[in-house]
Amino acid sequence: MTPNAAAPSSGPSGPSRRSFLASTAVATAAVAGGMPLLAACGGSDSGEREGATSGKAADKLLPTFVASTVANPDLPSKNGSAAGYTGKVDLAALKASVPDKLGTGAPFKIMSPFWGSPPKAGCAYYTALDAAAGTKITWQNQDGNTYGQKLGAVLASSSIPDMVVVPSWELVGKIANAVTAKFMDLGPYLAGDKVKKYPNLAAIPSDAWRMGIFGGALRGIPMPAATANWIAPLYRKDVFDKKGYAVPKSADEFMSWAKEATSAKAKVWACGDMTWSAWSFFGVRGSGPIGWDTGSDGKLTYRIEQPEYLEALEWVRKLFDAGVVHPDDKARTGDAGQRFTAGQILVWNTNIADWYGKVSEQAQSNPSLQIDAIDLFGADGGNPKLYASSPATIWSLIRKGASKTTIENALAAADFSAAPYGTKERMLVDYGVEGTHYTVKNGVPVKNDLGNSEVLNAWVMLAAPAAYYAHPDFPEVARKQVEWQQRMGAFMKKTSTFGMNIVEPTRWANLSSQFEQLEIDYVRGHKKLSDVQAAISTWKSSGGDKLRDWYKELIDKNGSGN
Amino acid sequence: MSLNTQLVRSLKAPARPAWEEEPHKAGLTAKGGLLLLCCLGVLGPLWIVIVTSLSPKPVIDRVGGLVVIPQGITFVNYTELLSGGQVSRAIMVSVGVTLVGTLFSMAVSVLAAYGLSRPGSLGHRFFLITMMATMFFGAGLIPTYLLVQSLGLTDTYLSLILPSAVSVFNILVLRAFFMGISPELTESARIDGAGDLRILLTIIMPLSRAVLAVISLFYAVGYWSAWFNASIYLSDQDMMPLQNVLIQLVQKHTSAPTGLQQAVRTGQLSALGLQMAVMVLALIPVAVASPFVQRHFKKGMLTGAVKG
Amino acid sequence: MSLTAGSRPDGTRPPAAVEEPTAAVAAAVTKERVPPKAAKAGKVPFMVRLRRDRTLILMTLPVILLLLVFNYVPLLGNVVAFQEYDPYVSSNGVTAIFHSPWVGVEQFSRMFDDPLFWGAAKNTLVLFVLQLVLFFPIPIALALLINSVIRPRVRAVAQAIMYLPHFFSWVLVVTVFQQILGGAGIIAQTLEDHGWSGFDLMTNAGLFKYLVTAQAVWKDAGWGIIVFLAALAAVSTDLYEAAAMDGAGRWRRMWHVTLPALRPVIALLLVLRVGDALSVGFEQFLLQRDAVGVGASEVLDTYVWNMGIQNGDFSYAAAVGLVKGAIGVCLVLGANKFAHLLGEQGVYHK
Repeated sequence: MTPNAAAPSSGPSGPSRRSFLASTAVATAAVAGGMPLLAACGGSDSGEREGATSGKAADKLLPTFVASTVANPDLPSKNGSAAGYTGKVDLAALKASVPDKLGTGAPFKIMSPFWGSPPKAGCAYYTALDAAAGTKITWQNQDGNTYGQKLGAVLASSSIPDMVVVPSWELVGKIANAVTAKFMDLGPYLAGDKVKKYPNLAAIPSDAWRMGIFGGALRGIPMPAATANWIAPLYRKDVFDKKGYAVPKSADEFMSWAKEATSAKAKVWACGDMTWSAWSFFGVRGSGPIGWDTGSDGKLTYRIEQPEYLEALEWVRKLFDAGVVHPDDKARTGDAGQRFTAGQILVWNTNIADWYGKVSEQAQSNPSLQIDAIDLFGADGGNPKLYASSPATIWSLIRKGASKTTIENALAAADFSAAPYGTKERMLVDYGVEGTHYTVKNGVPVKNDLGNSEVLNAWVMLAAPAAYYAHPDFPEVARKQVEWQQRMGAFMKKTSTFGMNIVEPTRWANLSSQFEQLEIDYVRGHKKLSDVQAAISTWKSSGGDKLRDWYKELIDKNGSGN
Repeated sequence: MSLNTQLVRSLKAPARPAWEEEPHKAGLTAKGGLLLLCCLGVLGPLWIVIVTSLSPKPVIDRVGGLVVIPQGITFVNYTELLSGGQVSRAIMVSVGVTLVGTLFSMAVSVLAAYGLSRPGSLGHRFFLITMMATMFFGAGLIPTYLLVQSLGLTDTYLSLILPSAVSVFNILVLRAFFMGISPELTESARIDGAGDLRILLTIIMPLSRAVLAVISLFYAVGYWSAWFNASIYLSDQDMMPLQNVLIQLVQKHTSAPTGLQQAVRTGQLSALGLQMAVMVLALIPVAVASPFVQRHFKKGMLTGAVKG
Repeated sequence: MSLTAGSRPDGTRPPAAVEEPTAAVAAAVTKERVPPKAAKAGKVPFMVRLRRDRTLILMTLPVILLLLVFNYVPLLGNVVAFQEYDPYVSSNGVTAIFHSPWVGVEQFSRMFDDPLFWGAAKNTLVLFVLQLVLFFPIPIALALLINSVIRPRVRAVAQAIMYLPHFFSWVLVVTVFQQILGGAGIIAQTLEDHGWSGFDLMTNAGLFKYLVTAQAVWKDAGWGIIVFLAALAAVSTDLYEAAAMDGAGRWRRMWHVTLPALRPVIALLLVLRVGDALSVGFEQFLLQRDAVGVGASEVLDTYVWNMGIQNGDFSYAAAVGLVKGAIGVCLVLGANKFAHLLGEQGVYHK
């Protein structure tokens, strides 16, 4: 035993190991750039007390949709894409989306995950927001890395903060049950026309609201996401242009390009781990409820039963075997984004939000860097078969037993933070107070040090308007992101389970949890194809077939999502 | 011998006792070589870490990972980490918790180690087994959290000390050292009517300086580097100890989740460089503390105590 | 450890110590300091013992109380191992125990039926043996090396340097190893420049067990010397002098004086290490599982993490934890018995 075993830092069951999951999750989020990915890659495959409410039954619970007309995007949403704003910021032209202060100033507490070092209570940003929204919020900004543990423990205690932000990737195990048990039905405040008191909440798309139904009642205020949202294979356009590479248009083309582009001696590899892109190339659905779909033959199948599932994996395995994947990606260490900007890998599949992240990060130090996204292709070179992703991935919830005043103040705060782009409220939430937290130069708002340290991810977690991209400093990136989603969105179809917040019965909750690791191991050559096949048949016999029956019944009852 | 010559001796000529033979050249070389190898094995990776923490962002970006050969130096990572008002406050918190926690842990541990150092005393075996069982069975987070909460310790500094105050391993090591002290030394004091507490304070503890230093160090390191309890038991960000603040500061610079584009900084800093700077900062207290501990390891320092 | 082994109160030196310093020191350090059992436990009345030992008991109580409150009370939560526990089914996690269904030993049979569990157990044992053989002796050897250095400056510097890696996080250790031994690392690049290629130690499943042992040695061996140094500080120089006077050379002195002085500490740490055999590391393995695959990297702690905690399956995690704890107790009892057979005290007395 090494003496450090004696360190009192951790309890006997080893918090370090608990903390680790979360840090892995956020590392994944950092690599992937975001939340939708985590939703797409498992983790969200369980929910409330079994089942889902959708179709007509759900529609009765939903708030009436009233589109916002305050600021129209330059690129409206199409094919499930986000909207895009490509103009400059003109503070004088900003409109108000919340005419009256809805908050009454009664104090309440919010617990939310936080990535970064949270500002002090009573800082200029919080004070300004409270003043504008008429609220008085005590923030409990908890470290995003350990949020899952904190959430699990707090929900098991009898003192739950008034408002709690719950990301979908923390809905593992029985947390989803807790959402139903511990948080209130917001129907009496939001259903139907009642939502009109909160114009920005009313402008949240119904698909996103539908995901807020837990246990047959509307409990979650959603943060909407674009449904045409896939992992994007970003590529180094500057390098491609210089070397004269053509952008691959099929799985075979990609393979032969990758072999050509890789030179271990020059420390250049073609790509990182391409598994997530391969799902799109081969038309494999995401994991979790969204992975179930009724085929044209009327058979309901899960993603691992698709023939394309094995094809996609075999293709990625070939990439690894050919040595075109960076060794650090094979070992899954380090930061793939950094390898991408350093030119060690030329294709990096990641969340499309990283497109902007990397361009803005590199603008000063590496101005010649150019990034674009490969259009998702069908593996055979034809059109891709793509599946819509979940329209909401984060919720804020209000605890059961909260007073009417607290609820109304919490909803006022959510309404404020759901203000659309181009409004005074959005500007305040995203950038803080002009002069104090940021200044506008040539139509581009730039945060100062105080802005960087105070204006972080607190208010933005409460709710959001329909998905949009707006980068006043790099408007072209916003345009390209939206256009990519719109082009890809044309090939999108919805699975039978789309738009339902489905909770699988807990007895099958862990049935599919092995596959993610199995995929990682197989493509790296640590497992055989027969191992994957065996796992699939074990899956069927040990509950998968019963789960199928359960889904069938659910879809028959609620109506298909597509 | 004057103080001066003593000083010179301790600095320069090693005090080789008269009975010890002159070392062989070959043996000395082998020993030196081995020691050098061990140190280089540590210093090599440490070099990479330090260089990366001092490298400007463009260099780290160009290399695409840790930097081995320095190409320009900047202290921006360190100034950025230390400039926030939160860090200075957090250092105070960490120092306070470490000091108070270590004192408390040492007090209860030394008492218990002595209390258990006489096999055959009443309850000796029972207490020992009660203690040791906790080394093998752990409780889950939820029951522990509920307990700490129901004791009213959440959002207090006590929650960073009490739940992790006892390390059974440390007590067992202390106890083994206490038991190694010859009973003849304590017998005479006992005959003179000294009680156990006095024997502990006046005989056992002075003779155990080395192990007391070691165990204090174990406890202090534990408190200093602990962060998980704080992230679970504390809600008020102003109470967070240094480790938590550093972890969170570093995260600020990794790419933020989508929908939060505005939180992404426009990249004057490299996340990797910052992480390495945090690692280096973590080493500084160790480098500072180790001479104090080492002082208690002088060979044969107890001989005098016995004879005197 | 003993302060008196070398010199008698009357100042004479026992001749035996010259011939067999081992025996003298060993006897001194392992000597029973209390009369044999029969003389006390059986015959001395309880009240007398209570009065005699009340100070000792009072001294022990604070720790016992702390452990009772902060360890034993939450340990009661482990009854959920016999349930299908849902902490949110009731108003709080404690009352939820009374509302969760009891499933008997279902969680346990699930575990024993799971081939992944057995794979993890096998890896854990192999790694434990490797660590015991390749890791455990190194801090002792290093402590002896450092101890033999006389120049205080050299000693202090060498020691301080060796401590440092302990304070590196595992993430950093793995990153640094990847940077050196990985497929794009320094060694691979150098080989590549000379026409060889395909060097990648970090994703080699077959060598993984040696790799992680090497990592553990690099990170913690230096820190591990600290207890041994403390033990060495307590060895009287008189013993060395006596041995030297009698013609024992360097190696003989190390063998007959230094090592015996370390024996009780070594025995204690060894017994505790054996008791902790089922914990061979956690973060280190979780960080590298993707590099070499689950087959090579899964150990019991990562298994609990994946199957229990990560999935929010508290009951299953508790069940595996209980089995692990029970095995740990058996191992430490066995190791302690073994230590007694070798004439060592181990952790506690017979």
